[in-house]
Amino acid sequence: MTTPTVAPPPTPRAPAPARAGARGGLGRLLRLILVERVALLTVLLVVVVTWFWILGDNGYLIARYDSDYLAAALDTLVPLSILALAELIVMVSGRGGIDLSVGSIVSLAGMCFGFMVGHWGWPVAVAVPATILIGGLLGAVNGTLVAYLGFPALIATLATFYAFGSLALVSNQNAPISTKPVQDLHALTSAVDLSPQIPSFPLQVITFLVPVVLVVWLVLNRTTYGRKLYAIGTNDVAARFANINVRQTRFRAYVASGLLAGVAAVVIVAQFASARPDAGSVGNGMALPAITIAVLGGVVVAGGIGRVAGVVIAGLLVVWLNAGILLFFEGSDGSQFQLFALGALLVSSALLNAWTLRRGRSAG
Amino acid sequence: MTALVEPAALRSRRRPVARAVEGQELALVAVIAALWVALSFGTNTFLTAGNLSNIVFAVAPVALIGIGMTAIIVTGGIDVSVGSAAAVVMVVVAKLIRDSGVPMVEAIAVALVLGVLLGTVNGLLVALGGIHPIIVTFGTLNLFRFVALRLFENKQVTGVPSTLQWFGGGETGLSIGVPNAWWLAMAVAAVMWVYMRHWPTGRHWYAVGGDPAAARLAGIRVHRRLVAAYALTGLLVGLAACVLIGSGGLVQQNAGTGLELQVIAAVVIGGTSILGGRGTVLGTLLGALLVGTVTSAITLLGWRSELTELFIGVFILVAVGVDLLRERRRRSA
Repeated sequence: MTTPTVAPPPTPRAPAPARAGARGGLGRLLRLILVERVALLTVLLVVVVTWFWILGDNGYLIARYDSDYLAAALDTLVPLSILALAELIVMVSGRGGIDLSVGSIVSLAGMCFGFMVGHWGWPVAVAVPATILIGGLLGAVNGTLVAYLGFPALIATLATFYAFGSLALVSNQNAPISTKPVQDLHALTSAVDLSPQIPSFPLQVITFLVPVVLVVWLVLNRTTYGRKLYAIGTNDVAARFANINVRQTRFRAYVASGLLAGVAAVVIVAQFASARPDAGSVGNGMALPAITIAVLGGVVVAGGIGRVAGVVIAGLLVVWLNAGILLFFEGSDGSQFQLFALGALLVSSALLNAWTLRRGRSAG
Repeated sequence: MTALVEPAALRSRRRPVARAVEGQELALVAVIAALWVALSFGTNTFLTAGNLSNIVFAVAPVALIGIGMTAIIVTGGIDVSVGSAAAVVMVVVAKLIRDSGVPMVEAIAVALVLGVLLGTVNGLLVALGGIHPIIVTFGTLNLFRFVALRLFENKQVTGVPSTLQWFGGGETGLSIGVPNAWWLAMAVAAVMWVYMRHWPTGRHWYAVGGDPAAARLAGIRVHRRLVAAYALTGLLVGLAACVLIGSGGLVQQNAGTGLELQVIAAVVIGGTSILGGRGTVLGTLLGALLVGTVTSAITLLGWRSELTELFIGVFILVAVGVDLLRERRRRSA
C-alpha cells in the first residue's frame, strides 16, 4: 500500500534487460519505459541531450551545447529542484495537497535573509539557518490551516501566496536589498573548477542541492515519517486506523515544504547578489514550474505516489531542454518555445500517466 | 431528482428563509455594505459616481470569468489557464480590429469563438484525457501563453482603435451611469443563476461535483457536462477580453498574467466550495465586488497598494473558514 512506486500492481519492476535481443526482452523494455516514470525520463533526457549535442556540433545552434554549457545551466536547476521536492512532499501527503505559496515564501524569507545579512550585519552562518527556519515557520502557517483547521490546500496556500507575497513587498518598501554584505553572498554560488577534466559547475549544486536531495530521499524512504507520509497520502482513513497521527504527519509535510522554500530563498539571494521582494513571483511565479516538474517526475496529485529520483531527473530534463531551446533560437524566441515545451511535456506526461494507470487497472 | 443529488437543495427546502440564497451571499452583502458606509465617512472620494463606476469596471472581467469558473469549480475542477487564454483572445482581436478594421460585431464573434475553442481544449483534456484539471490547465496555461507570445511577435500591440468602446471604461461605455461591462456581468450572472438553480443540465454540474460516479449512474452525461463548463468559461474569457481591450490603445505582452488567481479568489470568497458540489454565481459576483472595493479603498486611504494582496489573502481565509465552521455545525446538527 505504501510503496512509493509509479508502477500499478500488475506490472513487476523488473530491471532493464541488458541486451534486448529477443522479442520478449524488447517488449519488456518498452513496458518498463512506459510504466516506470524514471526510466521514461532517463530515456528522454538522453535523447534531448544527444540531439542538442549533435545539433551544436554541426553548427545549428548559436553556441556549442557542450559539457561546460550543461554544467553552467545547472544554476537554474538548484532552486527549481528544491521547490519541486517541496511540492513532492506536499503532494504525496494527499487530500489534494499542493503548495502555491512556495514562491511567496521564497520572496519573504529571502527579504528576511537580506535584512539579517545586509542591514543587521549577522554572520552568514547564523543567517542561513535563521532564514530556513523562517521558511519553516511560514510553512507551519500553511500546515496549521490545512492539517488542523481543514482548509483545502489549494485555497489555504492561495491565500498565503497573496499574504506572504504582500508582506515581502511591503517589508522594504518594494525595494531590493543589495548592500555590500549581500553582494558578497555571491561567493556562495560561484563556479567551481575541481579539475580540468570536470567542467566547472555552480558551487550551490554541492552545497545546497545534493544535501537537500539526500535528506529528502532519506526522510521519505528510510524513516518512519516517510512511511507515514505515503500512508496518509494513499488512504487517510486507513492510516488513522493504523494509529498514525494523520494531522501531525500532514502538518509536518507543509513545514518541510516551507523549510525547503527557505533553502531556495538563500540560494536565490546569493545567486542574484540581491534580496528582491518579488524574487518568487516574477513572471508566472516559482510555484508553477515547481509543480510542473513534480508532476512530470511522476508525482500524482491525488497523493501517495511520487519519488525523489523522478523529480530530480524531471528537473534535469526541463533545465537542459530549456538550455538547448535557448541556443536554438536567436533573440527572445527561445524563452517562448520554453513555455511550449514545458506545457507540452506536462500535458503529454499526464496523459501517459492516466493511460498507463487505466491500462494497469483493466489488466489487473 | 435534483434534491436527491444536491444536498444544498434539500437544506434550503427545510429552511425557507435561506431558500433564495444558499451560501454566504447575505454575509457578503453585509460586509460590502459595511465597508462602503465606513469608506464614505472615512474618505470624501469613495462614494462618488466616478469612483464606483471605476470599481465595477475594473471588477467586470474578473466577475465575468468568475461566473464560468464557478461552474467549473462546482463540478470539482479548476481552470488556471484563463489568464493566458484571455491574452490569446486579446492579441488576436486587437490585431484584427487594428490591421483589418474588423467591425465590432465580428470582433466580438471572433473573441467568443476563439474563447470557446480554447475552453473546449481544456474541457476535452479533463473529460476524455482523465487528467486532473489543475495539471491540464497548468499545461495549457503555458501553451496558451506561448501561442499569445508568438502572435505578439515580440511587440506589444499599440494603437488599437476604439472599435470595442461599448465595453470600455470611457464615457461611451456607460449606460445610466454604470459601465456596460458591469451590466453585462450582471446579466450573465442572472442568466447563469437561473440556469444553475433551475435548469436540469445546470443542476447536473452540482451532481458531477458532488460525486461523478453517482452522477453517471443517475444518467448524467458527465463528460459532456464537464466540457460544457470549460467551454462556457472560455466563452466568458472571450467576453472579458473584449472588456479588457475596451476603448483600445495598448495591449501588452503580459496581458492577463495573474488573472486566474484573482478570479479563483473571487469565486472562493463568494462561498463556492473548492471541493465541488456547492456554490453560486451570485456569491462570485459579490466576491469580485468585495475584492474591487478593497483595492479601491486602499488606494483612496493612501495605504501601500501592496497591502491589497494581504487583504485578499485574509478575505479568502475568513470566507473559507466561516464556510468550514458552518459545514461542521451542519454535520453535527
